[in-house]
Amino acid sequence: MAEKKRVITRRDFIRTGSRVVMGSLMGLPLIRNAAGQATEKSRVVLIRDPDVTKGYGSLNADVLIDMFDQAVTLLHETPHAAAAWHKLVKPGDIVGIKTNVWSPLPTPAPLEDAIASRLMDAGVSTNSISIDDRGVGGNAVFKKSTALINVRPMRTHHWSGLGTLLKNYIMFVSAPWSYHGNACERLGTIWQKPFIRDKTRLNILVMVTPLFHGIGPHHFSRNYTWPYGGLIVSTDPVAADAIGARIIQAKRNESFGENKPISPRPLHIEAADTKFGIGNSHPQRIELIKTGWQEDILI
Amino acid sequence: MIRVLQTRAIPLCLALLILSVVTHLMTQATYADTLERLQQVLPKQLNTWAAELPDRIFDPTTIFSYIDGGAEVYKAYNMRKCLSRRYTAPNRPVIILDIFDMGSPQDAFGVFTHDSDGEVLDVGQNARFRPGWLSFWKSRYFVSIYAEEETEAGAKAVKELARKVAAAIPQEGARPNILRRLPSEGLLNDSIRYLHHPMVLNYHYYLADENILNISVETDAALARYQLGNQQALLLLVNYADAQSAAQSQASFLKHYLPDADSTGSALLENGKWAAVTRIDRLLAIVLEADGRQLAERLIKSINP
Repeated sequence: MAEKKRVITRRDFIRTGSRVVMGSLMGLPLIRNAAGQATEKSRVVLIRDPDVTKGYGSLNADVLIDMFDQAVTLLHETPHAAAAWHKLVKPGDIVGIKTNVWSPLPTPAPLEDAIASRLMDAGVSTNSISIDDRGVGGNAVFKKSTALINVRPMRTHHWSGLGTLLKNYIMFVSAPWSYHGNACERLGTIWQKPFIRDKTRLNILVMVTPLFHGIGPHHFSRNYTWPYGGLIVSTDPVAADAIGARIIQAKRNESFGENKPISPRPLHIEAADTKFGIGNSHPQRIELIKTGWQEDILI
Repeated sequence: MIRVLQTRAIPLCLALLILSVVTHLMTQATYADTLERLQQVLPKQLNTWAAELPDRIFDPTTIFSYIDGGAEVYKAYNMRKCLSRRYTAPNRPVIILDIFDMGSPQDAFGVFTHDSDGEVLDVGQNARFRPGWLSFWKSRYFVSIYAEEETEAGAKAVKELARKVAAAIPQEGARPNILRRLPSEGLLNDSIRYLHHPMVLNYHYYLADENILNISVETDAALARYQLGNQQALLLLVNYADAQSAAQSQASFLKHYLPDADSTGSALLENGKWAAVTRIDRLLAIVLEADGRQLAERLIKSINP
């Protein structure tokens, strides 16, 4: 007979003072061969260009795609982007591009198209590529996928503190709301599911006009976006999210003129590292490569 | 004699049944009429802003297509319908008016307390204004108005619209009864949250990954912060349908959260704070984090009957 699940309470957190212990409390395995290969330093590229946007609602697609190609090239230390894509995918791969359609701040369509285009250039057939968000559960390409590309804009989020690359996979589960407890701390478990595990080849966190604070039922005001003009690219979603989170936090502090913690605290980023072994969240285990525009970089 | 009574009882039962059905239908009709009536009297013009008609109406299912992510909050407070109207003007920010019919003043108040920071305004029964967003509650309605861009003219229009909508709602509603049980001394009024969903409790104060207090639509809960002198504490009250349910939840709390409680129901937590629990008939009172034992016990003892 299976042992009844132990209830985890706030006191467990108070008692341990560390979330590392929580993983063992919950009896969860650590995945050390997952996307982030967390036993090594994670490489993250942050690229910025002031010409990619003038602010919310404006986008120079050519600049964005050029930034994207540069970032992938730097990440994989290849002579050009095409060579990097040949390392990322094989012609026989079936690739789902997990995007984000949240209407106030969706993934830019030119970036989605550029990803699909680079996949095709690498030999993946058109029929083996699909771009989807809310329909991934019933999408035939995603169901058969051998590889995933994860792309979304960074924003604050009502339940999880931040809408991150890690959170972007919540649409792969049938009851997303069931992950909302304790600021969506368990999001990392989604990445452990067999149909997702080890499939993610690239994570792109769009920081063109990120949302650093949310208000109202829709959790959006363009007043709380700013033209950061960046992309964060990594094979490790945790490391990319951790870098993005530091930038959002710095922007909040700067904008509000005081320490204004992200609320709720985006516990899921650290938990994805320390409890679920998805990747690296700590700065000392992240190799951050900053390129392009450096002014007001906030990190 | 018995036969006569039975004969008279049948039409009486029938009359009661008909009355019950009619009352039910009337309640539904009144609800629909009131929502429609409110919609009809909403301003179509607001200075240079004009309403973009038709309005959009969402129910508890379709609200997810309108509000991504946060819709669960409104469902957790039993949202019935949401009316959304956009106001547009040349070279002005779009103003979005959302009126949530929460079915009861208590739930309208509850959803208002979910996010109650900001500047206090005298609109409706309680109102708050933050840059770009105004919210208030009145009767069974929670109203949210926000401008897509913060401008002086936009902020002025948002406040004017709020006053007009509040005026269109004729009656006020009662706050939840459970709030009367909160001790008044040291109560930080802006910290009060009213809820009856464990997800909402966990949002404001993460307690456990399971619903150890059995919070549900059948329960009312209030969470509030206290400041007495230089000491603070957090008090949670949960009112159950009956004393037995309250006792079961008390036992569950003691088992999962305070197994080390002494005979008074108090325990020193590992972070140096005190927690305490007691039951008064159907009411469970829990001090979650108090800066001292005396404060925890004082709060427990001063719960209003």
